[in-house]
Parts: sequence; C-alpha cells; structure tokens
Amino acid sequence: MARFLVRRLFFAIFLVFAVSSAALFLTRLAPGDVTAQLGAFASAAEVERTRAQFDLDRGPVAQWALWMSRAARFDFGSSFLYNRPVGALIRGAAANTATLAVVALVGATLLGIPLGIITGSRRGTASALIRGVSLVFLSIPPLLTSLLLVFIASRTRWFPAGGMTSVNAVDLSWSAWLADVALHLPLPALALALPLAATFERLQAQSMTETINQPFVLAAVARGVPANDVIVWHAWRASLRPICAIYGLAIGALLSGSFVVEYVTAWPGLGRLMYEALRARDVYLVAGCAAMGALFLAIGSLIADMLLAAADPRVREAQAS
Amino acid sequence: MTALLLVGGLVIYWQSSGDSGPASAPATARRGGQVVASVRGEPRSFNRFVASDLTSVLISELTQGRLVRINRNSFELEPWLAEKWESSADGRTHTFHLRPGVTWSDGTPFTSADVLFSLRAVFDPKVESPIASALRVGGQPIRAAAPDPQTVVFTYAGPSGPGVGLLNSLTILPKHKLEAALDAGTLATAWESKTPLTEIVGTGAFVLREYLPGQRLVLDRNPRYWRKAADGQALPYLDRLVLEMVPEQNAELLRLQAGSTDLTYTELRSEDYVAARRGEEEGRLKVIELGVAPDADAFWFCLKPDAKKGDKRFAFVQKPEFRQALSYAVDREAFAETVFLGAAVPIWGPITPGNKVWFWPDIPRYPHNVDKAKEILKSIGLEDRNANGTVEDASGTEAKFTVITQRGIGSYDRGTVVLRDAAKAVGVTLDIAPLEFGAMLKRLMACDYDAIYMRPLFTDLDPAGNMDFWLSSGSTHLWNLEGKSPATDWERRIDTLMLEQASSIDPDRRKMQFEAVQKIFAENVPVLYFAAPRMYYAYNARLQGVVPSVQRPPVLWNADSLSVTP
Repeated sequence: MARFLVRRLFFAIFLVFAVSSAALFLTRLAPGDVTAQLGAFASAAEVERTRAQFDLDRGPVAQWALWMSRAARFDFGSSFLYNRPVGALIRGAAANTATLAVVALVGATLLGIPLGIITGSRRGTASALIRGVSLVFLSIPPLLTSLLLVFIASRTRWFPAGGMTSVNAVDLSWSAWLADVALHLPLPALALALPLAATFERLQAQSMTETINQPFVLAAVARGVPANDVIVWHAWRASLRPICAIYGLAIGALLSGSFVVEYVTAWPGLGRLMYEALRARDVYLVAGCAAMGALFLAIGSLIADMLLAAADPRVREAQAS
Repeated sequence: MTALLLVGGLVIYWQSSGDSGPASAPATARRGGQVVASVRGEPRSFNRFVASDLTSVLISELTQGRLVRINRNSFELEPWLAEKWESSADGRTHTFHLRPGVTWSDGTPFTSADVLFSLRAVFDPKVESPIASALRVGGQPIRAAAPDPQTVVFTYAGPSGPGVGLLNSLTILPKHKLEAALDAGTLATAWESKTPLTEIVGTGAFVLREYLPGQRLVLDRNPRYWRKAADGQALPYLDRLVLEMVPEQNAELLRLQAGSTDLTYTELRSEDYVAARRGEEEGRLKVIELGVAPDADAFWFCLKPDAKKGDKRFAFVQKPEFRQALSYAVDREAFAETVFLGAAVPIWGPITPGNKVWFWPDIPRYPHNVDKAKEILKSIGLEDRNANGTVEDASGTEAKFTVITQRGIGSYDRGTVVLRDAAKAVGVTLDIAPLEFGAMLKRLMACDYDAIYMRPLFTDLDPAGNMDFWLSSGSTHLWNLEGKSPATDWERRIDTLMLEQASSIDPDRRKMQFEAVQKIFAENVPVLYFAAPRMYYAYNARLQGVVPSVQRPPVLWNADSLSVTP
C-alpha cells in the first residue's frame, strides 16, 4: 500500500508539473498578452514596465524556468488582474470550488445511486420515468442547466441567482455567514449535481442489472434471503466497481473547476478564476490555476483507486503487490 | 448664486458656499438603503495617481474629492472642495479658497497642505502618474503655493484654454497618510488593491469597507462627507454602495432584469434595448436616453509613412481624395439603421452632437453618392481596368485591404460588413479580420495593419484635454501614432491651431479655432466616422435622483445624490 501511495504521489507531482508548464507555455504563446489590459493607448513605458514585472520580456523558456524555480519555493508569482499573489488567490478559489464540489458530489451520490438501484433492479412506470429524466439531464449541457436554474431562481426568488454570499455578508456573524453561503449553494450545486446524478443512475442501473443475473445473487435468492437484502447487501456491493471508477474521475473533474457552472452562477471558484485569467492572459494565474486543477485531478483519481480497492478485493491485492 | 465680476484686473468667479455644495434632492429622497452596481474589472489600485483603469477611476470618484468638478450632465464647472476661486485677467493665476470644515474620512482636517502634497505627488517622476500630462500647461507643471491652510494659489506657466477646469483631473490625496510613501519613493505602490482598507481615507461620499477579489467591493457611507442636500440632509443618502464584479455584459443585463443589480456600468447595447423596455413595461426597470454618445465607431488606414515604405497602395491611400471617395461611398442613414438598429445619428467627424459644447454642425459632409466616389477615385488614377470588381492604379496595384477589428463586438461585426459592402460598390475591396483585443492592439501600436475599425474613446469633452489625438506627436494620433514631425502640411496646420486654442482663454476664439481644426480634419478624413449611437441606460425602478451623463459612468458620477425607495 505504501508503495502504491508513493507511486501516486510521484504521479501527482508529475501531473501538476506537466499541466502547469503546458498552461504557462500555451498562454505565453497565444496571441496578445496581459498588457492589453492596460487599455488601448497605454504609454510604451507603462507597457514595458508591466512586461518586465511579469517576466514577459524574457523568452518563454527563460520565463518558465524562472517560474519553476520560484514555484519550488511555493512562490507562484503575482496576478496582474488582481494585483496580489497567485498562491493566495488560488487557495481561496480552491476552497470555494471544493465546497461546491463536495456538496454537488454528495447530492449526486445520494440521488443517483439509489435511483440507479431502483431502475436496475425493478421494471415499471417509475423506473421508466427515472430513466427518461436521467437521459434528459445527461443530454443537456451544463451551460443550459445553469442558465435554466439561474432563470428559475431569478423568476421565483426561491434562492439567490448567483454568487457565494449576499452583498451584506460583510456585516454577518460567522454562523450567519455560513447560513448565507448555504443559501447560495443550491443553484450551482444543483447545476453540477443533476448531470452527475444522471450519470451515476445510468451506470448503477446498468451494473445492477448485470449483477442481479449473476449466479451468486440467484443463489442468495434461492437460499430464501429477502429480495431487498439481496439487492442491497449482495447485488449492490458487487455492482459498485464501475461506479467507483467513474467516481474518481467525477471528483477530479468537479474539483479541477467547473468553468461553465461557476461562470454562469458567479461562484468564485477555481474555474471562474481560470476563465478570467485566460481572458486577460494573466500568465502566472493561469499556470497556478492549472496546477491546482491538476492536483485536484490527481487527488480525485487517488480517491477513486482507494474506493475501488475498498469495494473490490482483487484491486486491493493488485495495489498491495 | 453665481456671478462673473471684473475687478481691478482680476476676473473673479465667485460662488457662495450656500448654493455650491448642496445637491438638488428628489422630492422623496430618503436616507438609507443600498444600491448594487456592476463593474467589469478589478481595480488595479486605490491610488488614482497610478491607476487609470475604469474601476480604479470610479472608486476614486466615489471615495476622493477634487477642488472643482465638471458636472457631467451640464458640463459646467462646479466648486467642490474649494468653495470659490478667483482668476487673474491673464488666466495664469488662480486663487482657491477651500471649503471650511471639510475633514478626511478618518477625521483629520483637510487643508491646503493636502492640495500642495497632491500636486507634488502627481508630478513626482517616480510616480509616473498618467494624469500628470493633463495638469501641464505649455508643457510645464502647474505650480502652487499655500498662503494659509484655507487658501491655495495655482500658477500656470501660460494661459490655458480649460483654465480652472484642468483641476477637475487632480484628485486630492491625504498628506497625512501618503507623505511618507512619497518621500520614500514608494507612492507608486502605495494603496494597491491589497492594502488594508482602513488605510485608505478620502473626502468622497463613500469609504471602502470590503474588497473580495473577483466578487465585490463594498463601500459604506462616509459619515464625515461634507456635502448637504438642498433640504439640509447630510449626503450621501445611501448607506451602502456595492460594486459587483460582472465581467460580461450579457450576465450584467440578466442580473439587472432579475433585480440583483440596480445599475449597470455602461449604457445598453442596441440589441438589449427591447429587453430593457420590456422590463420597464413590467415596472422593474427605468430606461432613459442619455443622449448621443460623444464617441463613435471609426475607420482609418495606417498613414505612417515609415511603416508603409514599400507598400504600393500607400501611394493612393495617403491621398485625401481616396478617403473622401470612401466617405462618399457610405450611406450614413443606412449605416445608422443597420449597425445601431436605428438608434444613431449620422456624423462626419470625431466630435458628435453628444458633445454639446464643441460639436460643429457645419462640418464639411460627404453625402452618399456612389458615382461621385467613383469619379474621385478615377481622378487619382484608380479604375477597374481588368473588370474584376476592384479598382487599381496604373501599375496594377489593387485597392484591396484587410480591415482588422475586435472580435465579438456586435456593432463592429455589423459596421465592418456595411463598410465592406459600401466600399465594394465603388471598387475598393475590404477583407474583414476580427482579432482578439490584445492582438489587435499590438498591431495598432506597431502600425502593422492596413485599416482598422474600432471605437476610440475621448478622455475629455474639451479638445484641449485630447491633445494626444489631435497633435501629430500624440500617442493617440490614431492614423500615425507619435510621429516625430507632422507627416503632412494639414497635420502641421492642425498642430498649430490646437496649440493656439489650448492656450487661449477666450472661449469664442477657442471655438472658432477648433471649428477650423474640424474643417481641416473633415477635408482630409484621416479617420472616417459614420454614425454616433444614441445611448440608452436602464436601471432599477426603485432608484431616485438619477442624473444621466453621456460620459461613463452614466449615473454613478452623481452617487452622493442617489437614493432608493423603500
């Protein structure tokens, strides 16, 4: 197990290194740079000063080497857009993204898995209806789901139409602030959770259907084990493997930033930060966001492997060796 | 009460403190409440002397004060931190009497020492302030002395057209907070956007309370603000003003319609007008016409001789007749109809009817006339000799150009298409290349383009405030940026006239000289203008005291007089 974890740690380091380097190079090589943010007729001196400040007066390789040497000391440079250290900005945005991702993941799990068990083990109108709704949510892109939810929120005022806190959050106590965040969570969390829940439902249903027909399940039924116990304790546990596999990817994808949802719902997370950074060609912020996204992806796949090991002894044995 | 007196060689502009400060209040103005406005970007700094981005400028206007202010609705000069002033007859000396009892938001008294400090800071070479150039007269910095804590005497190196109006650009910063940074040579990095907000004090209507990067800026009422409403109520009416970061205009409109934003940063786009009107019919929004925009979309060729060496097309592009022919080719009524969906007026020069003081209705015009355009092209040797639809000169060089523009702007997309079709009708081929803003800008600065279509913004309505556009050496002399010397005789004449009018204190003479400049400009058409959009603005119907302006920000310039209904 220790060897497995060490291997994964090296993989995470490599992933962060490769993704952030690629992000830095691509941002640097794309047309235009951050000095466009100075406006149409900034003075040449101002442009040069800004270029020097963000190491744009060096070649891409020299700039990358400089950034890497600083990053090794946990100095990820400074953001032009926000005029503050990239590290501090990313920490805040990553925490916001993680909060949203965890809520969305829990919601999708609590919704998708039980529905998948039902549709995978039973026939009837209810199952057909659930399957239909799942297909609809799988087909709708997250952009549309987000816009639809924003529209519903703005029309009904059931919950805030965007942001993470209300404009008066500055006056709130800690507990009231938490309640305020909780009030703002449903919109982006639902936008993320609904398609994910549909994915879980479809996968769980398919896996459940296959497992139910396995001999060990039929044997349990033949032994007179009640139907519900067979489904939950025998069939469900055995059907979890594909879910665990996709779970890790889902965690990684959610944590590494759901650009569209965060942007449309104005959630101040990693995805939105990276979008703004890309728009402004804020090179160090792009690289920092990409690094954090890659780290989240590595963590997500590690969690997936551990879940898989917990659910399947064969995987556990393979990891141990 | 305002009076203009001539006493013993002094032109005295006097304004009593009784009616200079107070704002006329809406009948039902009420203290309290908050307004949420949107802004597009993060502030670069809270120090106006080093940041000129729109958000930084807005925050400075909300939190800081000036000696005088140009009212953005009437364009009249108003006393602000100075309650009155006198100017010498030669227009070189201006004596300001500061408003008594004004304090900074931390309670420190505001005195003439703060004014002297601000002037020293703005001209400090280490600060490299972008506003310093606007405060020079004849290339020389304004000088000042303070005979007592309530009086400041400004001395200009020569007469100045805008006169006291120049000081509208001078934000007064607190000496007691920033003098140490100036002395240490670090003022340029003082009051950056990461500075603790309690450090930032001002004489403006609001104080900074919270800044969440990427989310919002919260400004609270400054309880020590000096201005009072006409009924004696302390201003501002609002307890809080929140600036939400909404970088995208579609999202901004959605939030306005949903009621989560009260004010947008800019005017409505033509395509958003109908949706806003619907909101007005439902009682949620109010839509007002601000007037004709002072800026308009423009089209020009790179006319920098050094950059166009070896380009055979330059032989005819540099001729005014070629550009006149293009001007004749465009039907401006149709342009206004198509590009701005009817909400625009035809124009023939850079000064639009939105600039009520300097607009000249008699500017030479080029009414739509395709035959005349073709005739002019023929007169300079451009004919379609090979019948391929594009005119060429005797050597076979075709009048074919690439027009760069910014990608993703609706009016640019429509404008370039109309222009392309109009040019095609007279045999000039234009290929449109929409670019990302940064890439376009890079080409513009390097003169690495044939032609460009975009909307340059004037920073000031007074032409003397836009010398960089008019002077051949100017950094915004669009068609030939920062020329070493005037490239043509007509540019030399404009240089002379502009320098004269900028240093004249006779308003009638200034107007006459600027009309002459506009005439030369229109005859030589270095930049083609077609239509100036009418500006419409939508805001939440609960807002009161809105005084619109064609300059940005259209409503928040008067934030201290805004109020909300319960």
